Amino acid sequence: MAVTRRQFLAWGTAAGTALFLPTAGASRAGWERIDAARDVLDGAEPRSSGIRLDLPSVSQDGSSISLTAEVDSPMTEDDYIEALHLYAAGNPTPEIATLRFQPRAGKARVGMRIRLDESQRVVALARTSQGQWLTAEREVRVTSSGCLVRADTYASDNLFQTRIRVPDSFRSGEPGEILTLIQHPMETGLREDDDGEKIPKRIIEHFAAELDGQPVVEAEFFRSVAANPYLRFFVSPQESGELELTWREDTGEKVVESRSVRV
Amino acid sequence: MDRMRINRRQLLGLFGSLGAGSVLAASGIGRAVAGNQPPRITVIGGGFGGATAAKYLKRFDPSVHVTLIEPSRRYYTCPFSNLYLGGLYDFEDLGHGYRELARDYGVQVIHSTATDIDTEQRTVTLAGDETLRWDRLILSPGIDIRWGELEGYTRDAAELAPHAWKAGPQTHLLKKQLESMEDGGTFILVAPQDPFRCPPGPYERGSMVANYFKNHKPKSKILLLDAKDNFSKQPLFQQGWQENYGDMIEWVSRSNDGTVIRVDAANREVETEFGTRHKADVLNVVPPQKAGFIADRAGVTDDSGWVPIEPRTFRSPQADGVYVIGDATQAAPMPKSGFVANTQGKSVAAAVLADLAGEETPDPSWANTCYSTIAPGYGISVAGVYGVRDGEIEEFSGGISPEDADGEFRRKEAEHAVAWYEAIAQDTWGTYQEG
Repeated sequence: MAVTRRQFLAWGTAAGTALFLPTAGASRAGWERIDAARDVLDGAEPRSSGIRLDLPSVSQDGSSISLTAEVDSPMTEDDYIEALHLYAAGNPTPEIATLRFQPRAGKARVGMRIRLDESQRVVALARTSQGQWLTAEREVRVTSSGCLVRADTYASDNLFQTRIRVPDSFRSGEPGEILTLIQHPMETGLREDDDGEKIPKRIIEHFAAELDGQPVVEAEFFRSVAANPYLRFFVSPQESGELELTWREDTGEKVVESRSVRV
Repeated sequence: MDRMRINRRQLLGLFGSLGAGSVLAASGIGRAVAGNQPPRITVIGGGFGGATAAKYLKRFDPSVHVTLIEPSRRYYTCPFSNLYLGGLYDFEDLGHGYRELARDYGVQVIHSTATDIDTEQRTVTLAGDETLRWDRLILSPGIDIRWGELEGYTRDAAELAPHAWKAGPQTHLLKKQLESMEDGGTFILVAPQDPFRCPPGPYERGSMVANYFKNHKPKSKILLLDAKDNFSKQPLFQQGWQENYGDMIEWVSRSNDGTVIRVDAANREVETEFGTRHKADVLNVVPPQKAGFIADRAGVTDDSGWVPIEPRTFRSPQADGVYVIGDATQAAPMPKSGFVANTQGKSVAAAVLADLAGEETPDPSWANTCYSTIAPGYGISVAGVYGVRDGEIEEFSGGISPEDADGEFRRKEAEHAVAWYEAIAQDTWGTYQEG
């Protein structure tokens, strides 16, 4: 589950050549430096209020860093957060994840664990259902501590094993938090094995949560999501029902789990 | 891993060169800078960082006035306190006094608690309201527990489920609980997220409790519930556990639901992130931590609860004339270890004297070795050498015990661990092990 220091360095080199735009200046907003972010904005200018991004300012383990993003929104049919895009500007590919919410999520807040190759800026972009854009960013310093030398093998015996936590009960129309995790190496496709052969990319690329067949939250994951993809999100049920969770690997393989939601 | 290995002799060499290189042409700073009054340097905290800083200030320049403030008359070290739990060491052998610092080095030692700091007036208030003036202040305050950050883990809870992450009464409490546990019981150790004091500490503790169980309660089990997915020297620990204790120790990673989110100390029960409940016979919680409280009073901590420092000098960017070293600082990739605090004690002594003399800070170089004892005659280590590059602290080289070493190698490392302990105690407090 860990990436060794050497592999990190390999990533780092790739990032250095692929990513730093010659025009990047210190005063520019994080999203301006990321092609993918400029593409989704398509000329729109995001404002930097009403959205919060939390990561530890210093992290001793770049292979799994906790991230929380929250966007203020009433989450009604007329006014909700449609999408949240997360980027790591200094990773070989900057996309971390794209989350799509429905009003029935009740709250546009997620928790994840991400990979950061080196010290860099993490950027969030959110789009409201009314077409406004919001952005937040955090500078993160990544070190690897001298007492934290780690293994580089993934446990494979429990691939696709899931863990889910649903609140014991909900109040009608009030959001409650769902915790999910699936065992998966999230192979980046950038690592080499002991013989110098590239280990092929293999990731969980999609997650969806549905309540009684209606979408709540959907997530697109990229290689910057940490091994064993972890996602916390909210659901705001009106009445008791069935929550169905689906993870899809890039091979097409699917894992489906369901849990009762009691109101 | 293809990282360079460093042997003990090279480390001691490095160590020596820092000392020698840092002895500034500093004679007479006192007279030169402050007229007839020698500058007053106050050091708060008499652990590995503070005691070393006080001693080396006087070694580098006997003309400065150095005051060390430390509540205990005898300081018991966290390093090797796991070996006491494992039955390999006497607790008294972990105690170090301050007589040598006073007698041999001319450090003024005050046994009191610093309760407040005024960085404008440059004073420190002691318990009993005495106030001392300082020209430069070095804080080596160690850690405090973030009580309540882990739900249910309060001061009262720690009397039932000890942390034993500061050597002293908590260590004795844990030992007593282990001794009164029946054979066949379960020992649960809860390990926190980074950063925390002594990254290999929880795993050495699990090892030493296993050693005690193996000798006295062989049917017992050990469960390490971890808020991390990997840990310091992990493959070496896991190999050592297998070789010495079979399957007595079970480690549960964060991705396997190891993160504890609630502690019920009265029932010795914990609840994990995904809702699993584990019941212990002896529950040891290594809780979330922050810089020692006096760092807050000095206004040098940030949102994280730890202390940011300027890498070359360990000066606080938040308070003039204040330097901070040891576990309280954000000095990653240097770990929060006694050895690191000791080497920072030397570099900060050099930096403070250079500052007083109006000279440039000598280029710092720091070293660290973390030894861990897995079983009697079975030791492992990780070492690193650190410096400043592009304004940030970096690891320049380092090494870890090989995974394929034989028993003789492990035995020697266990011996080196003891030699290391005696050497660093002598270097820090000027004390030799008594007994």
